[in-house]
Order: sequence, then structure tokens, then C-alpha cells
Amino acid sequence: MMWLSGGFIFRKGYSFYHRLDPRAKLLNSVLMFVTTLLARSVFEMVLVVAFMVGLSAAATVLKRVARTMAFTALFSGFIFVVNVLFTRDLETSVLYATRFIAIVVSTSIFFITTSPDELEQVMKMFRLPRDVVFAFVTAVRFIPVMMLDTIQIMDAQKSRGLELEKGNLVRRVRNMIPILIPLVVNSVVRSGELAEAMEARAYGAAPRPTSLLAYRARRVDIGVACASVALFALAAYSFYFVIPVQFP
Amino acid sequence: MIEFRDVTFVHQNGVKALDGVSLRVEAGEFVALVGENGAGKTTLVKHVTGLLKPASGSVLVDGVDTREASTAQLSRKVGVAFQNPDHQLFSETVEEEMSFALRNFGFSPELVRNRVAWGLELFGLEEYRRSSPLVLSGGEKKRLTLACILAWDPQVVILDEPTVGQDAIQKERLAGTIQMLKSAGKTVLVVSHDIEFLWPIQPRVVVMKGGRVVGDGPSADLMQDRDLLGSARIAQPQLVEFYQALHRRPVAPFVHALDAARWAGETLQP
Repeated sequence: MMWLSGGFIFRKGYSFYHRLDPRAKLLNSVLMFVTTLLARSVFEMVLVVAFMVGLSAAATVLKRVARTMAFTALFSGFIFVVNVLFTRDLETSVLYATRFIAIVVSTSIFFITTSPDELEQVMKMFRLPRDVVFAFVTAVRFIPVMMLDTIQIMDAQKSRGLELEKGNLVRRVRNMIPILIPLVVNSVVRSGELAEAMEARAYGAAPRPTSLLAYRARRVDIGVACASVALFALAAYSFYFVIPVQFP
Repeated sequence: MIEFRDVTFVHQNGVKALDGVSLRVEAGEFVALVGENGAGKTTLVKHVTGLLKPASGSVLVDGVDTREASTAQLSRKVGVAFQNPDHQLFSETVEEEMSFALRNFGFSPELVRNRVAWGLELFGLEEYRRSSPLVLSGGEKKRLTLACILAWDPQVVILDEPTVGQDAIQKERLAGTIQMLKSAGKTVLVVSHDIEFLWPIQPRVVVMKGGRVVGDGPSADLMQDRDLLGSARIAQPQLVEFYQALHRRPVAPFVHALDAARWAGETLQP
């Protein structure tokens, strides 16, 4: 589980991509996301995924992105099977299945290279309500904590003779109850404690609190943003006017 | 009997939590694992139940290599009360919570009832029999987790920081329970920072630092080694410190408790 979580959770990194302004990273991810929707053939989708893989390698997060891909491949397989059954078109099914992986990877690159603090700043930039921003960022911040909780709970229950890997599907689902209840209860208790601790530190006292971090786009950030837009325009143009597509 | 043979364990993030640990705990022994945070104490005891498997070396519990047995199989012999009781309580009632492990181990319904009643009485939890374990106080939850472990009568009992959140009376009761387990011939491993709690029980003390065992011996001897304990960031028991101070300087005459406190403050300066 911890292995999989590495594909979605931020860890400090020192690549050029990690150091970019979060707004440039967000723009890049959004454009990659849209590009996956524009791709109309498996060949185009492979190009998009190849670009993402190259970007992940440059950002030194390729291994973790590979985990994201491994995880989404399960759902992607399901999408493929359903499409094959209903459309009876292999290429379209492959396209949809690959598109799903590409969509998840495009967002994963942003989340695993952007700290919760940076995420908060980006959300504030869009003038989202402060409580919403705080709730979202706190949820992201607490994912690793909950993962650790889950492991500790599983250890405690396994030490009491619970065998998670044994039995049929129904029994396995039932075996999750001793894991899920303490996890949910702990999360609820923790959120209550966090709310009290925040209020004790004057959360909500000022309508417009000051900010510790203030981002200023550097030349490299603007350069990356411009390059992202240019690449997106090139991809969109190529997909519609250069690369021929045979529709079934 | 538990035997660690040159055990090394590396966490996923690359941190070496255990570095060539060799340790032998005889059946019926009472051992306290002490050391600073991150010294590898909890990691070491997790190897006894097979929750963690050594990267190199081996751990034998009653002659069984933990790499060849599941945690469920090992936990029949080894009961662990983890540090945070909230990580295990989930049942609707205290009674059901206690019977969880017993049912997992396939005890007969009659035996389950008897063991539950015994555990509730031993830890003074009978009045909460039908209550939700989630509404108990921190100390009560801690006692309940210990009762849950002892209910299936494991040969080895491991207590991870059992005194956290316990008041003085509860600590005394806990010490009594440990004495009872010792008398019953159980092997008891306690992971604790609470030296004042351990000192009166006089366990064999294993001092850990940076994933290694740096000291091992009877508490009466080991607790006198100020340098060793200091290197592992452990304070000496106050009584030992006081005794050593008395040996270093002649006793000053004092007639008032405040004089005595002042004298002790000056004398006990390192």
C-alpha cells in the first residue's frame, strides 16, 4: 500500500520541475490533461504518454509515476474490457484505456511535485473560499498520516490473529471492518482535535489573513508556461491537421 | 525463548532501523527495551510477531523462524499491546472487543466467555462490559488492550510503552500485572521510556541506540552506568542518582525539607 501511495503523495525533490512556480506546473498539467482528451488515435495517445514519461524522467519522479501507472492499469483494464464488450472495436478500447492512464498521470505529476503549501497558494490564487482551501490542503497533507495509521492498525489486528489474506471475497471484505472502523474513528477524532487547535491559534479571526509565502514568477517559470502553451498548440494542430485518423 | 541472530532491518525509505542485533531472551524472563526515540525498539519487537521480517539474520520464537510463519500463527504465542490503543479498538462493546482475538484463534464459546470475564475482572473493566470501547478514557483503553492480549494466554507478552497516559495508581496496577505474569512464567518484553516505572520491577535491561544493542544487563547494574544511559538519552532513576550523589559527597546536615531540596539540587549537579 505504501508502495502505491508513493505514486500520489508529494515528497520533497530538487529537480528543476520541483522548483518551478506551482502555477506553471498547474498550467502544464492542465494542458497535458486537455491534450489527452484531444488525442483521437492510439498513436497520438502514445505520443502524449511518451511526453509525460519524458517529463517525469526529467523531474526525477519516473519511478513514482510508474507506480501511478501500475495502479491505474487495474481500472484501465476494466475500461478496456467494458469497451471491447460494448463497442467491439479494439483500437477505440485501447485508446480509452490509455487515455484514462494518461489523465491520471497528468494530474499525478502535478501532485507529486507540488507541496501542500504550494497547492494552498495556487488555490488561494483562484480566490477559492479559505475554508475550502484549508479543508482540501489538510486532506492532502493527512494522506501520508492516514497511510501510516492504516499500517499500524493492520499490524495491531494481525497481532490479534486477523488474517487479511485468507478466505473468499466476502470474508476478506468483512476482515476489513477491524481496519476501517479504527481508521475512520481516528480520522474523525483527529479532525476534531485539529479544528480545536486551529481555533486556539486564531483561525478565522481575521477575514483576510496575511500570507507567509508570496510567489513571483521567474523567467524560467514564464518560459516553461509559454513552452507548455506552445507544445499544446502544436499537439492540437498536429492531431487535427497533420496526423491522419481513420474513424471506424 | 526468543533469539535474534544478527538481525538487520532497513525501512522502505532506506533508514537502517536494526543493525546486526543479536539478543537471546530466555523463557520466563522479564526484559525492558530502553533507548531514545528511533533507536529501533518497536521495530525489534515487531520482528517477534513476524510483522516485520529481517533483511538479514533471523528471529526465532520458540525455535520457529519468523520468516516461515505468519503473524497469525506467531501471535498465538506472542501477544503485543501496541502503544496506541485507538489503533485496535473497533467493536461495539468491550466484551466483543475482548473476544475478537479469541474467536480468531478458534476458542470454544464457553472458553471465550470465561476468558473475557477473567480479563474484565483482572483489569477492573466489568462495569464497561456493554459499553463501546471507543468511549473509554485513555487509561481504560490501554488496560482493555492489555486485557485483550492476556485473554488468549500467550507465552510471550510484549508491551509497547504501557505507561503512556496512565496515572500513578494505574502504573502500580500495571507493575503488579507484570509481576503476576512473571510469576506465571511468561516471557515479558516491555518497551518503555519510563525508567522510574521499570526500576522497582528490576527487569533485565537492554539499551538500544541507532538500531544496535549498546547495553544489556540486570537493571541494578546497568542503571548505575550514567555514561551509557546518557549516550542513549536515558535519565537514571532518581533513587540511583540520589544514591550515587550520597556516595560522592558527605551528607550535609539539614533540618528542613526545603534545606534538603536545596542540598539535593546542589549535590546532584553533574
